[in-house]
Amino acid sequence: MTTETTTPPAPRKRRPHGKMRRKFAGLLAIGVALLAVGGGYTLFAPNAEQNQAIAQPDAALVAKGQELYNAACITCHGSNLQGVAERGPSLIGVGDAAVYFQVSSGRMPLARQEAQAGRKPPLPQFDPDTEEGRANLDALGAYVQANGGGPETPAQTGAALRGDDPARGGQLFRLNCASCHNFTGVGGALSSGKYAPSLATPTEEQIYTAMLTGPQNMPKFGDRQLTSEEKRDIIAYVKSVTNGSNQVGGYDLGGLGPTTEGVVIFVVGLTAVIGFAMWLGAKN
Amino acid sequence: MSQEELARLAGTLDDVEVVHNAPKWPVRGTRAEKRAERTVAAWFILSALSALGFIVAFIAWPHEYVAPGAPGYGWYASYNPAIGFLFGFTVLALGIGVIAYVRKFFPEEVSVQQRHDGRSDEVDRRTIMAQLASAGKSTDIARRKLITRSAGAAAGIFGIGLGIAALGPLIRNPWKGGDQAALWVTPWAPKGDETVYLRRDTGILGEISRVRPEDMEPGSMETVFPYRESERGNEEELLHAQRASDTPVMLIRLRPGTETIKRQGQENFHFGDYYAFSKVCTHLGCPTSLYQAQDNRILCPCHQSQFLATEYARPVFGPATRALPQLPITVDSEGYFVARSDFIEPVGPAFWERRP
Repeated sequence: MTTETTTPPAPRKRRPHGKMRRKFAGLLAIGVALLAVGGGYTLFAPNAEQNQAIAQPDAALVAKGQELYNAACITCHGSNLQGVAERGPSLIGVGDAAVYFQVSSGRMPLARQEAQAGRKPPLPQFDPDTEEGRANLDALGAYVQANGGGPETPAQTGAALRGDDPARGGQLFRLNCASCHNFTGVGGALSSGKYAPSLATPTEEQIYTAMLTGPQNMPKFGDRQLTSEEKRDIIAYVKSVTNGSNQVGGYDLGGLGPTTEGVVIFVVGLTAVIGFAMWLGAKN
Repeated sequence: MSQEELARLAGTLDDVEVVHNAPKWPVRGTRAEKRAERTVAAWFILSALSALGFIVAFIAWPHEYVAPGAPGYGWYASYNPAIGFLFGFTVLALGIGVIAYVRKFFPEEVSVQQRHDGRSDEVDRRTIMAQLASAGKSTDIARRKLITRSAGAAAGIFGIGLGIAALGPLIRNPWKGGDQAALWVTPWAPKGDETVYLRRDTGILGEISRVRPEDMEPGSMETVFPYRESERGNEEELLHAQRASDTPVMLIRLRPGTETIKRQGQENFHFGDYYAFSKVCTHLGCPTSLYQAQDNRILCPCHQSQFLATEYARPVFGPATRALPQLPITVDSEGYFVARSDFIEPVGPAFWERRP
C-alpha cells in the first residue's frame, strides 16, 4: 500500500494494461485449478452423493447449533468463536465435550465475571434432563466441533459410563483427582476464590467430559493419559462414594473431616458431659 | 467396742465429726425402696445385656466390605455403629447404675474435718528416720560392698538394655552414606548406566506405563515415578519407587506459547512445554499437587503455599521459601521421557546441613 502511494505518476500509462493482464492471468489460474480439483473430485469420489446424504443432517445440526450459539454465546465468545477480549476465550478446538460440560452444568452462559464459573441450573433450552435440551446440546456441540474439532462427548450415557472396577478407580482418583476434590469427592478450596467443586451433583457424562476437557483450572486428562476405561473406573468410584453411598458409620457430616466432626463433638459431646456433671452434683 | 463404735473412733482420731447422718430408707421394706432397688438393678442388667450384645456383634456381625447397593450393604454399613453403640451403652449404663445407687441408697451425711498443718510431728519424723537407719544397719547392707555393687551392676545393665530397646529405634543416622545419604539423593539418582524412565501409576501393581510426550494434552499434569528396566516384574522395587516420600514428580505440560522464566543453571531442564517438578513442598513436605491449569500455579493444600509453574516453580505466596526442585528431563530415541540425572538439590523441607 505505502509503496504504491509513493510511486511517481510517470508509468501511469502502462499500469492499466499490466493490471488487466495480471487480473486475467489470475482468473485463468483459478479457473484451471478449479477445473482440476473438480475433475479430480468427481474421479476419486464417485459416491459423492452418498456422502452428501450423510453430511446433510450434520449440516442442519451445525446450522441449528450456530443459531443457538448466536442467541446464547455470541456476546462473549464472538461471532466466529474467536473469543472477545476481557469477556470470553476462543472456542476453536475446545470440542463438543467442553460445550456439553459447560452448558449442561449451567456454568455457561456465565452469570457474571468472577474467580470461577459456578454450577447452576442450566438454561431451560439446554437442560440435559429434557429431550429438547439434549437435542440443543447436541446441535451446539456439533457447531463448535465443526469449527476446529477437539475432544468429543462419549458415545454412552448415564450408568453405562460407570466402569466395573471402582477399586482401581479409587486408586486413580486418589492419585489424580483427590488432591483438589478430596478423596470422598466433596471438593475443596484453591487459591484466590477458586475451588474444586463437589462431585456429588455432576452426572456421569459431566464427570467424563470434565476429565477430557479440563474446565477452568482443572488440568486436562486426555485419553492417552487416563484411558477411557480408567475414566469409567474413576466415575464408578466417584459414584460409589458420593450421594450418601459412603456413610458407613451412620452419617458422614459432610465428609469435611475434622471441622464438622470437631463442631459436633464440641457441641453434642460437651453438652452431654456437662449434663452428666450437673446430674452427678444435683441434690435429690 | 462394736464395729460402729470403732468406725466412729477412726473418724474422731482423724478429727472428723459427723454433724448429721440420716439413712435414706428409715423404714425398711417400703414399696418406694423396692422400686429404687429395681431401678438400680435395671441399669446393671441393661449394661450386662449390652455387653453380651457387644461380644456377640463383635464376633458374628458381618463386617466384610459390601459395595453400596449390593445385598447385605445395610448390615455391613451398620457394623461400626452397632459395636460402637453397644460398647458405649455398656459403659454408660454401668456408670449410671453406680451413680443411681449412690444417689438412692447412700445416707445423707454432713461431716466436718479439722484442717491440719502440713508436716508431721517432730517425734514422728525423727523416729521414722531412725527406724530406716537401724534397718539398714541390722541387715548389714552398708558393709557388704560386693553385694551392693554386683546388684547395682545387674540392675543398671538391665536398665540400659531396656533403654536401648525403647530408644534405639528412634535413633537414625541421616548422614549415613556421605554424599549419597538419603537426605541428599532420591530414587531418581542413576544407578550405573541404566536409563531412568518416567512412569505413571495405572492403579495396577506391576503394570508398566512409561510416559511419552504425546500422552499429555496441553494444560495437563501427571504424577510420575522413576522406573528402570531392571525393575520390570519386581513388585517390591516398583512399590518402593511409588511409595518413597521423595520420588513423586509432577510432570506438567504448559499450554503452547506460555511465557516462562528459567532458573539460572536449569535452563535446559525442561523438554519443550514439559516441566518436571518435585511434588514435595519445600515448606513442610506436603504433596503440592493442586495444579491450577489456568494460572499455572501449584498450590499446597496444607499451608497454602503457591508456586509458579511458569517461573521454575518459585514460591509466590505462603510460607514456603524455596522453589520446588526441578527434575532435568529429556526424551530418548524411543520417544519416552527419561530423567537426565537426579534433582540437583535435596527435595522437601530444609534441614540443618542444607545450604539455601
